[in-house]
Amino acid sequence: MKKDMIVSLVFLVGIVTLYLSLGFMDDPRAATFPKVIIVIMGILSALLLLQSIFLKKPVTSKGAGFPFGRFFICFSLIILYFIFMETIGFYLSAFLFFVAVTFILGSADLTARKAVMRVVIGVVFTGVLFFLFNVLLAVQTPKGLLL
Amino acid sequence: MSEFLHYFPQALSFINLLTLVLGVIGGLILGATPGLSPTMAVALLVPFTFHMDPATGLILLGAVYTATVAGGAISAILINIPGAPANIATLLDGHPMAQQGKSQRALYICFISSLVGGLIGMVIMILFSPPLARIALKFGPSEMFWIAIFGISVMAGLSSGSILKGLLGGMFGLLISTIGYSPLLGSPRFVYHDVLTGGIAIVPALIGLFAIPQVFALVETLGHKLERPDFKPEKGILAKTIVENLKMVKALSIGSIVGSIIGIIPGAGGQVAGLIAYDQTKKFSRKPESFGTGNPEGVAAAESANNAMVGPSLIPLLTLSIPGSPTAAVLLGGLLIHGLFPGPDLFITNASITYTFIASLVLAQIAMCVFGIIMSRYSYMVMSVPNLFMIAAVTVLAVYGTYSVQNSFDDVIVMFSLGTLMYIGRKFGFSPAPVVLGIILGPIAEDNYLKGKLIADTDVGVFSYFFTGSMNIVIILLCVASIGYSVYGEIRSYRKAKEAAV
Repeated sequence: MKKDMIVSLVFLVGIVTLYLSLGFMDDPRAATFPKVIIVIMGILSALLLLQSIFLKKPVTSKGAGFPFGRFFICFSLIILYFIFMETIGFYLSAFLFFVAVTFILGSADLTARKAVMRVVIGVVFTGVLFFLFNVLLAVQTPKGLLL
Repeated sequence: MSEFLHYFPQALSFINLLTLVLGVIGGLILGATPGLSPTMAVALLVPFTFHMDPATGLILLGAVYTATVAGGAISAILINIPGAPANIATLLDGHPMAQQGKSQRALYICFISSLVGGLIGMVIMILFSPPLARIALKFGPSEMFWIAIFGISVMAGLSSGSILKGLLGGMFGLLISTIGYSPLLGSPRFVYHDVLTGGIAIVPALIGLFAIPQVFALVETLGHKLERPDFKPEKGILAKTIVENLKMVKALSIGSIVGSIIGIIPGAGGQVAGLIAYDQTKKFSRKPESFGTGNPEGVAAAESANNAMVGPSLIPLLTLSIPGSPTAAVLLGGLLIHGLFPGPDLFITNASITYTFIASLVLAQIAMCVFGIIMSRYSYMVMSVPNLFMIAAVTVLAVYGTYSVQNSFDDVIVMFSLGTLMYIGRKFGFSPAPVVLGIILGPIAEDNYLKGKLIADTDVGVFSYFFTGSMNIVIILLCVASIGYSVYGEIRSYRKAKEAAV
């Protein structure tokens, strides 16, 4: 299993780095518990490495290719959502995110009727959230410039 | 039992009943939605319960837990996709029934059997939890430390295909739990950025690990067409189906007994309960060949087992803080954010909250059956909600829930980073449940380890303090047995795969 080999090597590198960083802790007693965990993780990663070398699992068929484009768009939209959340307020940013996701990721079958429907669902969704949490439960949300 | 009856009326207050009904309806819908796991549904709700009264918040989580387990059967029956792993056994006969035009009957049987199993499971839970909690009263730091390790070893074997990866995930969770200031000594650990100063809180971790990978998975499968639900309404079959269902004494009793026993064993999980009950009912049947072709008894056995598991799976959770399933692990997070710690305290100091919660779980079983039957007529509509809306809605809820607990944007960053990491981890065969349990049980393990070490240093030494004493040895043996069993299972499936490949 090539994947397991990659995982175990990544873990081993991380574990060694973390182990070395333990030496810089202010109080060595605070490092006891993390040290035990790191050592156990080291043993488990080594076992996984050995397993990946000696136990060859039969290769299972692979699914369709990974949709990098779509994934990248979604990831970027979420990051944009985070950036604007505190400045323009929670509900407005949530609504804009909802519309952006449904319009951009669902652009393949976008018709005028569907566009209106998606905006309406976005309004209803954020409206319900606002009612449930700000009105009923009185939860604090980032206010920003608007809502 | 007397405490249970004493606190029962509290579950009947207006606000608690309203929460219960909303939780059950929401849970049924969430459970029926393909692509949304029950564990994620409960995880998304945890932060909102933070703003409620503890009892009401727990009632909401319990109602959703109960209803999602039954709701998962709807998509199993109608479109052959189990809403949760627990519903795998349901589709074996449930979907053939739907194909024969008997989908409504299959759904009725599913909800009635769930009610029967669920109530039996609750009785077992009410009888066994308090005595077990009293045993936990005798545990010292060394036993508590081992209990935490046992919890992680159990979850490691349960949720991953590979025990090594499960354990690595659990250890990773333990390591994450040490980020921030050391609880006993107050010195900073692994604080590489200001965001990490306060350590990683439970809610951002829960939501990030369960919800974000699901969002990305939905993005991946966007555009895949699901099977059209087979649904033809039949009129006036409710009374007939109830009578027919209750006559399936054999299937219902096998299901409920198997479900209850497997529920108590931490880590055995719901999918096993359903499949074992299904298999046993088939073996005891006079017509075993009819199973798999749409035999209602198969649905009854599987669903009564699934819901019989819910109550007993809370026994180790409420008494020893070992969750019996991934969803129960999330429920543990819900208890902890209200400052409720599993163990004897829950049944003594916080008895009012705990017993109200247990009472509401009994009511939730009944509400689940009633609303399930009412909603089964419209349930097929849930199947046609496009993934697109789910992606947007789950992300917004995840962000909102995470932010609202501490009004902290840092938590949102932690949630999203952990979630993205978990998504990559899932590609390499890791699952979120052991990591979450590591994060939850980490402070318990460390605290008791350090306390135990302090005692041991002045007394008999660390080794004999942690490794001798009958209770320690029993729990250590349980850890070894649970890991050993997973290794055995893995070797067996490896051999089978090898034979199949040849």
